[in-house]
Amino acid sequence: MRTATLSLLFAVVLGFASPVALAADPPPKGLWLTTDFPSATARAGEITTIRLKLQNSGLPPEVAALSVSGVPEGWKVDLLGGGQPVTAAMPPSNDSVTLSLRVEAPAKSAAGSYPIVVHAKTASASADLPMTLSVGTGLAAKLAVKVKLPELRGNPKSNFDFQFTVTNESGKDLVVRFGADTQKGFTSTFSEAYGTNELSSIPIEAGQSKDLKVSFKPPRDVAAGSYPARIRVEAEGASDQTQVTMLIQGQPTLRLAGKDGRLSGEAEAGKPSPLTLVVSNDGTAAAEEIEINGTVPQNWKVDFSPKTIDKLGPGEKKDVVATITPFNKALAGDYQSTMRVTAKGDSASSDFRITVTTSTLWGIVGVGIIAVALLVLVGAVARFGRR
Amino acid sequence: MQREGSPFTGVGAVFLKEYADHLSSVRMRVLELLVVAIGVVIVAFAIVNMRETVTRDEFLFLNLFLYQREGSIVPSLLGVLAILIPLMAIGLGFDSVNSEFNRRTMSRILAQPIYRDALLLGKFLAGLCTLSTGLIALWLLIVGAALITMGVPPSGEEVARSIAFLFVAIAFAGVWLAIAMLFSVMFRSAATSALCALGLWLFMTLVWPIMVEVLAPMLATPDPLAARLGLPSDSQVDWYLGLARVSPASLFGDASMAVLQPDPNMTRIPTIGMLGQLQGMVRGGALPLNQSLLLAWPQITALIAAVIVVFAIAYVAFQRQEVRA
Repeated sequence: MRTATLSLLFAVVLGFASPVALAADPPPKGLWLTTDFPSATARAGEITTIRLKLQNSGLPPEVAALSVSGVPEGWKVDLLGGGQPVTAAMPPSNDSVTLSLRVEAPAKSAAGSYPIVVHAKTASASADLPMTLSVGTGLAAKLAVKVKLPELRGNPKSNFDFQFTVTNESGKDLVVRFGADTQKGFTSTFSEAYGTNELSSIPIEAGQSKDLKVSFKPPRDVAAGSYPARIRVEAEGASDQTQVTMLIQGQPTLRLAGKDGRLSGEAEAGKPSPLTLVVSNDGTAAAEEIEINGTVPQNWKVDFSPKTIDKLGPGEKKDVVATITPFNKALAGDYQSTMRVTAKGDSASSDFRITVTTSTLWGIVGVGIIAVALLVLVGAVARFGRR
Repeated sequence: MQREGSPFTGVGAVFLKEYADHLSSVRMRVLELLVVAIGVVIVAFAIVNMRETVTRDEFLFLNLFLYQREGSIVPSLLGVLAILIPLMAIGLGFDSVNSEFNRRTMSRILAQPIYRDALLLGKFLAGLCTLSTGLIALWLLIVGAALITMGVPPSGEEVARSIAFLFVAIAFAGVWLAIAMLFSVMFRSAATSALCALGLWLFMTLVWPIMVEVLAPMLATPDPLAARLGLPSDSQVDWYLGLARVSPASLFGDASMAVLQPDPNMTRIPTIGMLGQLQGMVRGGALPLNQSLLLAWPQITALIAAVIVVFAIAYVAFQRQEVRA
């Protein structure tokens, strides 16, 4: 002891903890059976496992017979080594063997304390471990769910990602299932907080917590408003839930199409011809200050009536007449033009194919030329006709 | 002496006799054999090659008329017809009037109740019908051969377009028939007439295109922008096309291409001015039939008007001639 105290003092003075100094204290010789918690709780009807350690200190390795005494009637208590029931162990010199005490209390066992003793006996030494097994209510399975940001704001096109933490506040590992209660049309997807795998359940060890994420996608035509949703977590005998809220703002969604869905039109070179467009708002909020413009080939003209629309409520439609004047020297064929509507917050465009036809005037001129040629012939026949 | 009654008296008789003579003559046999044999060879060549190409055209049938393998000396059917049709027409028409003089049968015919008007018109119509017969036979052969070998029936538009082409070809034949008959009226010697007609044909086919190539840049107003871009200027193209269209072969080629090639971008010569016109155009778009016909219409008009005018000149020349027994 004196040496040890001196060594410790020496170590403190030198400023470092010396394992050599600690090892200098010779361990007690003998065989010990130890456990961290000699007074354990067993739940009625369930299996409880307690870790034991058989320590051999300074003795030669010997076979140690293991036994348990004082087992209450109807209980099943086994010693396991490496997962298998064992009746003997052989700890090497200055080493230990880990054992498990598997206690299966009958479902009807009354509450109270039950003393048992675990024995280990070799030819030269023996060790006893008295333990107390209490049958009580135990710690019930309990889950807790916590959302980091319970209120999110967005538009009907956005995804609402809620990050939440599930904590297993019970004494055993649980497989936790998730679910979400949302309004009709919403879809929910659970995944790990920083993962992409879609989950429906996840195992959580006792006392641990997991970060998870739920992504809600509102239906496209959802009206503006506040939408609550509930996140549920469930495991065997435990559940929890929390409420989140999605604030959805309305958004205009513009669409531009031709009348009756046609995306083509005809125009004669150099002559204005009308093309009726339909501007519609499929969104959830009114579109304001809508401007209509178009891109047509060079030297073409395009004019809109009306040029702007002040307001177009959700679900409303409005006809716009585009007057397209192709270049007067445009060649017959199909031309591409793009019409565009722009409002605050949204825009839409459509490509139209304009078929340019040429004037039939020259066809009539051609017929006239042939007629003149025929007149010349008839004139010649009349003038020169002879026998 | 002024004619009494309708100038058409006896046209039917002259027409039927001449038509029968043409169809049974050895000359016609040779011409028909030439046309059919060459036509079939060209079409067979086109079909064999087209069967090997993987890309399928929307207008497969029309391609038969235009098909020419790149780098090959075998011309397209259109190119062959542009040479053969004038030959056939000259062959039928170069001695139609002067042979009657040479055989001393003209006065005998005119002694019948047949006017000169009717004689000339009947001869012209008989020649045109003979040529039409040959061309229709060739057209049917092509369609039939294509049906058998390619196994794809032509669409309605393709049939309409190829019939329009047939019409253009007949009008082209009419021009050269009228020219040949004009020479047969003008010259008493059949050899002179044939030589003149063939000479004119050779000039139009070989010499005129070269002259156009030389003349157009000389006559055109220079355009520095076009020269820098390496494109022909508008004025140059205008002169080029204007001069080239003096030749009936050029009119025939232009009209046929417009009718047979529904994609207008394949037939246009790009010019500097056209860059503005073509801007924004969707490539590869086929024109509808009526627009193609509108494109070809000036050329078709010119061909028909040329037939009438040349026939009118031949008529006037014939009427002013002395006919003696």
